[in-house]
Amino acid sequence: MPYRLLKYALSRSYSEPRMFRSHDKPKSEYDVVIIGGGGHGLAAAYYLAKEHHVTNVAVLEKGYIGSGGTGRNTAIIRSNYLTEEGVRFYQESVDLFQGLSQELDFNIFYTQRGHFTLAHSPASLRIQRWRAEVNRNMGVESEVVGPSFIQKQVPELDLTCGGHQAPICGALYHPPGAIARHDAVAWGYARGADKRGVEIHQQTAVTDIEVRDGAVIGVHTNHGFIKTRKVLSTVAGWTPSVTRMVSLRTPLVIHPLQAFVTEPLKPWLNHIIVSASLHVYVSQSTRGELVTGASLDPYELISMRSTLEFAETLSGHLLDLFPGISSVNVLRQWAGLCDMTPDFSPIMGTTPVTGFFLDAGWGTWGFKATPISGKTMAETVVKGCNHPLIEPFKLDRFRDFRLVGEKGAASVGH
Amino acid sequence: MSERLEPCETHWIDPKCPVPFQFEGVSYSGYEGDVLASALWANGVRFHGRSFKYHRARGAYSMAGHDISLMVEDGQHTNLRGDQLVIRPGLNIRAVNTLGGLEKDWYRVTEWFSKLLPVGFYYKAFYTPKWLFPFYEKQMREVAGLGRVNHNDKIEKTPKDYADCDLLVVGAGPSGMAAACTAAEHDLSVMLIDENPHPGGSLGWQNPMCDPSRNARSEYIHRLKGAPNLEFRAGTQVAGVYADQWVALVDNRRLTKLRTRAMVLATGCFEQPAVFQNNDLPGVMLGSAAQRLMHHYAVKPAEVAVVLAANSDGYQLVLDLIEAGVQIACLVDLRRDGEPTDLDQRVREREVRVLVGYGIDEAVPQRGNKAIRGASICPVDDHGNLDRKTIIRCDCDTILVSVGWVPNAGLIYQAGGRFEYESKLEQLLPSTLPDNVFVSGRANGVYSVPDKVIDGQRAALSAVRYLGKYDGPIPGLNEHVGSPPTHPYPIFSHPNKKNFVDFDEDIHLDDFKNAHQEGYDNVELLKRFTTVGMGPTQGKLSNFNAVRILAQLNGQSINQTGTTTSRPFYNPVPLGHLAGRRFHPVSRTAIHEWHVKNQAQMMYAGASMRPEFYHQEDKSREEAILGEAVCVRHHVGLIDVSTLGKIYVQGPDAASFLEKIYAGRYAKQSVGKLRYGIACDETGVIIEDGIVVRLAEDRYYVTATSSGASAFFRSLQRWAKVLQQDVTLVNVTSQLGAMNLAGPASRELLQPLTDIDLSPTSFPFIGVREGNVAGVSAILARVGFVGELGYEIHVPTSQALHVWEALMRQGKKFSIQPFGVEAQRLLRLEKGHLIVGYDTDSMTNPFEANVAWAIGKKKPFFVGQRSVEILRKQPLLRILVGIRFLKDDYPHWPEECHLIFKNGKSVGRITSLSRRSTLGYPIAMAFLHPDLAKSKTRVEIRVAGDQNVVGEVSDMPFYDPDNQRQEITKKELL
Amino acid sequence: MKILTCPINGPRPIQEFHFGGSFRPLPDLDDMTDDQWADYVFNRNGEPGVKTEWWYHTASGVWFLADRNNETDEVVRTYLYQPESTDV
Repeated sequence: MPYRLLKYALSRSYSEPRMFRSHDKPKSEYDVVIIGGGGHGLAAAYYLAKEHHVTNVAVLEKGYIGSGGTGRNTAIIRSNYLTEEGVRFYQESVDLFQGLSQELDFNIFYTQRGHFTLAHSPASLRIQRWRAEVNRNMGVESEVVGPSFIQKQVPELDLTCGGHQAPICGALYHPPGAIARHDAVAWGYARGADKRGVEIHQQTAVTDIEVRDGAVIGVHTNHGFIKTRKVLSTVAGWTPSVTRMVSLRTPLVIHPLQAFVTEPLKPWLNHIIVSASLHVYVSQSTRGELVTGASLDPYELISMRSTLEFAETLSGHLLDLFPGISSVNVLRQWAGLCDMTPDFSPIMGTTPVTGFFLDAGWGTWGFKATPISGKTMAETVVKGCNHPLIEPFKLDRFRDFRLVGEKGAASVGH
Repeated sequence: MSERLEPCETHWIDPKCPVPFQFEGVSYSGYEGDVLASALWANGVRFHGRSFKYHRARGAYSMAGHDISLMVEDGQHTNLRGDQLVIRPGLNIRAVNTLGGLEKDWYRVTEWFSKLLPVGFYYKAFYTPKWLFPFYEKQMREVAGLGRVNHNDKIEKTPKDYADCDLLVVGAGPSGMAAACTAAEHDLSVMLIDENPHPGGSLGWQNPMCDPSRNARSEYIHRLKGAPNLEFRAGTQVAGVYADQWVALVDNRRLTKLRTRAMVLATGCFEQPAVFQNNDLPGVMLGSAAQRLMHHYAVKPAEVAVVLAANSDGYQLVLDLIEAGVQIACLVDLRRDGEPTDLDQRVREREVRVLVGYGIDEAVPQRGNKAIRGASICPVDDHGNLDRKTIIRCDCDTILVSVGWVPNAGLIYQAGGRFEYESKLEQLLPSTLPDNVFVSGRANGVYSVPDKVIDGQRAALSAVRYLGKYDGPIPGLNEHVGSPPTHPYPIFSHPNKKNFVDFDEDIHLDDFKNAHQEGYDNVELLKRFTTVGMGPTQGKLSNFNAVRILAQLNGQSINQTGTTTSRPFYNPVPLGHLAGRRFHPVSRTAIHEWHVKNQAQMMYAGASMRPEFYHQEDKSREEAILGEAVCVRHHVGLIDVSTLGKIYVQGPDAASFLEKIYAGRYAKQSVGKLRYGIACDETGVIIEDGIVVRLAEDRYYVTATSSGASAFFRSLQRWAKVLQQDVTLVNVTSQLGAMNLAGPASRELLQPLTDIDLSPTSFPFIGVREGNVAGVSAILARVGFVGELGYEIHVPTSQALHVWEALMRQGKKFSIQPFGVEAQRLLRLEKGHLIVGYDTDSMTNPFEANVAWAIGKKKPFFVGQRSVEILRKQPLLRILVGIRFLKDDYPHWPEECHLIFKNGKSVGRITSLSRRSTLGYPIAMAFLHPDLAKSKTRVEIRVAGDQNVVGEVSDMPFYDPDNQRQEITKKELL
Repeated sequence: MKILTCPINGPRPIQEFHFGGSFRPLPDLDDMTDDQWADYVFNRNGEPGVKTEWWYHTASGVWFLADRNNETDEVVRTYLYQPESTDV
């Protein structure tokens, strides 16, 4: 038992301070206003304060911190992307994640589990090889493995899928694949930012952004007007409402992504298992729940309702893979919002509006980018020009027909 | 085994049928109808399970599935709830989450460290030194978790069912039964659902022998059986309510999906715990749990009991217990004014000691903390705290808690309802409801049996009116009179911090105070940090006490504090129920059986099955594939291409429409000729390719890729509307089978079987003819995909096998062989034909694919044209080229998707590759940087083991570049 | 399961339908810059509100338009596409 816990037993009263201060009202002016108190916004605030000593920063959150995608995703972290731009970016994120508990002095339960992307056809395996080769070339641990390797690592998996699906013929194996406690990431960054002077204002909604001569001059909130020359929007699924305030158009469309957890079970699943063709991903949390999700809901919706069809389909696919868990109980369904882009890559960086910075398009890949997006956006906000890692993700790419090729992997024909 | 109470009509057990079972290795006996918890209790076993975090002893608490004190596994299934698990002979049960059995459970050491483990302790430790965390995490995983999965569990295939009704009534208590019976009288189909095995709800356990309960029971249970348009389903939970009144019903066997037009939710309330020291030990339970034990299972819940009350229900409970022979050590009433009704008098008449304005400070445990031996009772001071200066000790074996209720609101929230706190009742009440959702009974704040019946009738008539079958008067709602049935804050701190708020997760009162102190001062943050309500019961007993605690800590009202949302499921649902039987349709061509009979290795192509190749004795896979290809090159082969998308486009605008869809030109295409076409989406990405056949001036026939066909057809339909084209589109993909007869002998083979003149002049390359093949009407097209003289033959699916067999028979003397997808891929690769979705990806434009030649010049419009023109002006980043390999004796061979390097820099990727071709050397197709696309440029392909294989850029096609095999040149193809 | 009303086939479960994205009238190609075209091709109006969308009834092959609130999922109306009446 670590000695850090001894203090609780030895002191009569509970002496832990507030992790983040509560403020009555925002001040009338900040150097930077961040809209959205999710992981990305809080991480950006943290790195602004820590690395750039910009501490006159307000994070405005209309609900509570971590209430959006941060607390609703299935907390998978990996860097086995398809494009060089993607791999480079996410690998930096993984590197940061690996030291994040120590950096934030807060245990985010970053747990390396190893990540399998199962292929049920030679065509799918080909795509996995593509990813593996790009990863390997970028120094990311990633390889195509055969059925016997998979079976040895995950004995509970039925490679034949019980005849319900095409059998598993191989997988992309990414040993660094990890999970983490998603809320803790937000809270850790919030505490770190708060400690350095950043103000986090919950229940504070931005109602409009004031732009004069093509430059931001402030934001209107439900607590009044705030003067600022720099606004960073990190609101994922709510981005279209914010970009409208500055008359920016984006390709974002919002789809719900659903998930469910089972009751806690004793540990048996030690890896993160993804099936590209069944659109299933599942891992077992430290608490013992199976945390599992599937593909996006098929139509646009800015609502976090659940559907029964989702639970039915996902359960069926889970049992195709793990036939021995049919009596395991599903506890709770939920949903989050995904701001999808046409090329499955984020939209980051400067915009045509001076002082308005965008961090959006996080689709289904936002959580795993939390540290690196915070870090690169902080630098971008300070310098006013894009950090090299995010240059490929700039909004202009759609005007210029220079999309990122991440969607290439989605073509599994024939 | 202890004696049961005298039989009574409310009992669910059959004392004539004993049921032997085992728990933790010890044999016991119960009765048919018993749940595990009641049978154990009757056998004097009150220590049922261990808690999640501290492994404290727990016993039945709610007897209604609202707690997990008794969570067990039977060797096959796990996480079964003992207060809902009906026993059956031979059942052999163990408690989950123990190390070395329930009694010993070595995990219980965690409680010794409980002072070290305040709320969220795991966020603040275990991460330094970093390398130790995986060790800690492993230990934590082992200790956490509940049941163990048995992966040999036989899959239970549970077919799903569907149902529909006009009105769904949830909850068969007095209010729900009255609602269902009332609605059924109005010519509506009504479904009444209850999770219990028998109807009656609280009528069966809360003071069931009083006149109103007895009357309501006898009237409505009888009427349930009589109504023809009323279906009652017992033992069924409403697991979730979804959009448009789509409802998940779950019973032991299956999931039933129900559509209803309106709902009456008479879901009742959950009785709530009081928070005091050791309020979780075996022997402390809800008053309603004791009543359920008595009235459903004929089990005497206690010998000597202390009752903690804050409402009339507690007084009623005392009278009930006395009837059952329980000695009441003391009735402790939290309220300073005591009970206002005559129940007070009636209790005192039974010589019960009543302490008004007192609370329980602690349940005094027996040695070992597995049972209680008394209660410490203190007066409540002006601030609602216990004044611990005065302590009254009262010996007892059981403490029964009856301090209040919260609505069973989950389904009401899911149906779109919202709640507000009503201090008259100290309870949440529905404030807004959708037009077709009605709430009645206790969930609506109605507590007396006659009022509940009236409220059920009110809700039912409102629903019937909504459904247009009633326009008469609707009874009003009787306002609650008297003291609230619920105490506003039955929560008391204790220095020893075993006063639990959430039993699932072992969260005690100070955990909330500490979390609040650390800034988790909003209901959602508090929930996430403390994990309150995240356990298997989803906070049925804890969520609202948590809200009360937070409201007090924040100095706010309940309404200002807010509640958390409710999500499906009401009770957990097995994956097997949700999955059902799992239908996974696969599409087979008409020739499928033939392929299988002839040793085809079948493969999935999307949802279709196709022959990959045909096994041949003494030949490896590679040899077999090459053999098939060689046979096509030298003799003749036949491939089943039925999975191709096939679409008729006809009408006055057919030509102009296709000009708008495809990048090429079709208006001047001759009748009886085919052209290759590529189609782009609006962003200029190639989405489809195929042949476009002109059958008549106003009639075309086009093919599409197997996997893209339905999406392509869908997009054609939309474009026809948007572009206002007068065309009729018919998707005949599954109506027509198709096969490609290819090879130098194909003409000679086919001629005797058809009435079409196949001579080169009469039926040249890229010609199309309609006629008969083997007596079947067919479309024949001279295509060149595999690069040999060949005929694609399209016939009705029903005749495809007949034609196939005729061709195979006829082909015998030409050494015909069937060939599969792999040989076809090789042959077309030799010919330099790309496969959309294989050599291209979902971002490839025509310039990258090197098919710019297929873009018609000076066209006014085609889909994606503007994007294509923009892309044309941009520097190319990659282009599809041919690669040939100079040697084939490398130890590791490239595979498709291996990367290509030049001077150590990644410059491309292999898209298609054949190590063994009919050309005698290995070939590939690849995306390459355009600067390197010049013929003879040497590049390196990085293969396994970080070795490099040298390749040389080559012009395509590799095979027959002049199209001599087709007696024609590429130019004419356009 | 949600129900959507096909103008031809009446109310049907939503799983019978395919979502076709927001309705975007084809712009006048002659009169626009490349940037305007890129805006048409890629950019969308993802804000909350009632949107006109394409939906397709898969079983019968019917394309139609739906005015749907993308926040409440409430379908205001569904109707067949009429070139002149759908200037949005």
